[in-house]
Amino acid sequence: MADILAVRGVRKTFGDVRAVDGVSFTVRRGTITGLLGRNGAGKTTTIRMITGIFMPDSGEIVWLGDDNGLPFRDRIGYLPEERGLYKQMKVVEHLFFLAEIKGRRNADVKQSIDKWLERFELTDKRDSKVEELSKGNQQKVQLIGTLLHDPDLIILDEPQSGLDPVNMVLVRKLLTELRGEGKTILLSTHMMGEAERMADEIVLIHRGQVVLEGSLDAVRSSAGKNTLHIDFDGDGGFLQHLPNVRRAAIGHNSAELSLVEGADPQLILQESIGRLRIRRFELASPSLEEIFIEKVGTETLQHDEVTR
Amino acid sequence: MNKMFAVFKREYLQAVRRKIFVIMTFLFPFLMSGIMLLPGLLISRGMGEKRIAVLDGTGKLREAFARPNENARPDAKKEAQETLRGRRSGPELPSQLNIDYQDKQGANLDAEAKPYFARLASKKSDKLDGIFVIPANSVDPKSDAQLTYYSRSSTDVVTQERLSRLTNKYIQRLRFAANGISPETIASLTTEVPIEGVQLSSSGEQKKGGEANLFMAFIFAALLILPSFIYGNEIMRGIVQEKSERVVEVLVSSMTPEQLLGGKILGVAAVGLTQISVWIIMGSLVAGYGAATAAMAGFNIGQFLRPMIFVWFFIFFLLAYLTYVCIYAIAGSVCNSEREAQQMIAPITMIMMLPWFLMFPIIMNPDSTLAVGFSLSPVFAPITMFVRTLVSEVPPWHIAVAIGVSLVTIAVFIWMTAKIFRVGILSYGKRPTLPELWRWLKVA
Repeated sequence: MADILAVRGVRKTFGDVRAVDGVSFTVRRGTITGLLGRNGAGKTTTIRMITGIFMPDSGEIVWLGDDNGLPFRDRIGYLPEERGLYKQMKVVEHLFFLAEIKGRRNADVKQSIDKWLERFELTDKRDSKVEELSKGNQQKVQLIGTLLHDPDLIILDEPQSGLDPVNMVLVRKLLTELRGEGKTILLSTHMMGEAERMADEIVLIHRGQVVLEGSLDAVRSSAGKNTLHIDFDGDGGFLQHLPNVRRAAIGHNSAELSLVEGADPQLILQESIGRLRIRRFELASPSLEEIFIEKVGTETLQHDEVTR
Repeated sequence: MNKMFAVFKREYLQAVRRKIFVIMTFLFPFLMSGIMLLPGLLISRGMGEKRIAVLDGTGKLREAFARPNENARPDAKKEAQETLRGRRSGPELPSQLNIDYQDKQGANLDAEAKPYFARLASKKSDKLDGIFVIPANSVDPKSDAQLTYYSRSSTDVVTQERLSRLTNKYIQRLRFAANGISPETIASLTTEVPIEGVQLSSSGEQKKGGEANLFMAFIFAALLILPSFIYGNEIMRGIVQEKSERVVEVLVSSMTPEQLLGGKILGVAAVGLTQISVWIIMGSLVAGYGAATAAMAGFNIGQFLRPMIFVWFFIFFLLAYLTYVCIYAIAGSVCNSEREAQQMIAPITMIMMLPWFLMFPIIMNPDSTLAVGFSLSPVFAPITMFVRTLVSEVPPWHIAVAIGVSLVTIAVFIWMTAKIFRVGILSYGKRPTLPELWRWLKVA
């Protein structure tokens, strides 16, 4: 499928800090592209350059989608990580304002507002002030504001942060649906599990540079199949000390063991069987998180237990 | 342009619907007219009543205290005016004197006065505010007699002066009469000549009532400068709020910072104009009464309010507003809380208000080096030049330079504001230092 957006060699420096140092990638139409990296890797700065908040010091950002006469920034729906609404405004007023600043101010907008409010079960809240809404409902309003002007490219920066679990499921469902409608989504997150679940394509950023880019499948299969995924009951602490285990990520009732080249998984199974109650034992591609650590070393990475 | 209008509309509607706006819009004129009418009311009513016991050792001065308040009114007017001009600091406004005259001819005044002293501290209805003692030999021109006024406060100079004047005037009459001059001759010889100030313009036109100009100049200067600070503050608050409520990122991803800033500044300006319009309408309703009161106090408002004043007011109001509002927008965009912003803006406000603090010397000497210097310098020009046009004949090139300087200042300020705004609104955490701000100007 055709590319909708190209980021070409963009750099951005703040004082002495090189936030983004020559990032290039493309976003294909109709996909969910995960922009991954740990906090401070340069994801938000990259996104702020795409949305026109910052000008890159060098490099360019090019819209490759069809030209329907609308300015680039009006075709983007952007949900920033730092988000909030005017507390004193009524929901319906606020939504109308958000559409207006995206250049939409016709009767369609009113219809669209009604449609979205109904979908998110907020119809009875349309004349309430934002501050009277629950936190979860405020998040829904913000999300509607992002989608209201029917953008071609939807950019979500850490959409999980501050979302309650119910809304998180809702967002996931919504994003999959939007992709089905042909929308393109750029999803920035530091939670690898989230990206693994949602993304078609990934762009891995570390210290302002792209370290890995491609479709999720390609990235994973290129990493080979020498990782053991084990689910168990019992204390798995000993697993990391077994021979042939290069690195281990051990959770409460699961472990991911990356093995040295040519190691025999059977030996590990034998070792484990007496000490743990095994529920799953699978040799497969490593998780994104493992791939990421493999790429950038074992620097602290937030373990995204939450999303499992 | 549509986006700027969206911001403009939001700013305007949200502000106008707030309760505080409605309250201020309708309450402020009453406060203001209260301040304006107060002197008039004070002049006609006085500041309450003072009970004074007069112990007259001569026994000849009863008539001097028969109508103690008659002459007080013109004096009161003068004092009220001086207070308005800032010459008097405290509320030394005149009171109604209630004189309890006691003929103590031939009595021992020291002994007689004692029971009265006790009444100074009394809490009952026989309480006295002052005791005025006139020695028996006061009328004798060769005596070294001294009048004494006892009161609880040593600062009651106004009452003391009035009593002294009443007494001395009558004693002089008695002395004249003792030298064989008839009462009619005395009356005609002691008539006072009134004085009036006249401003001569370069065209030879004469304007009377310089005191009125002084008073009105202050009011107009306040009307010019206060809204700029009030609404500047409002913009600062709004920006800080957008930052702290994290609304701003969605805004700047949808429009340029210039559009956002422009919409805000114009929106708040429209709020200010709405408010001022309401005030003008309400003001014209009470203008009749106000003018009457002012006339009673000796101010001729009509000659002061020349049409050109309103033209200058409009021009210099806009210039002042746009100058100050940028500073507030910068403060708002680099701070994270309203308190922090207030702390940052306070010293800057003091500097910007310099012409206001120097208003009295500027009004008194509108063509002095000080006044001309301020009226031609950046930031201070709008208010100072406006005040000069009120009270003096300013050379047209002065006005042209003031407007030019202000426009350049505003252009530079808006450019700076837009740059700092762009970086500042997205930076949370520590407030930038001056060198950092300087870098922002170059970077953004």
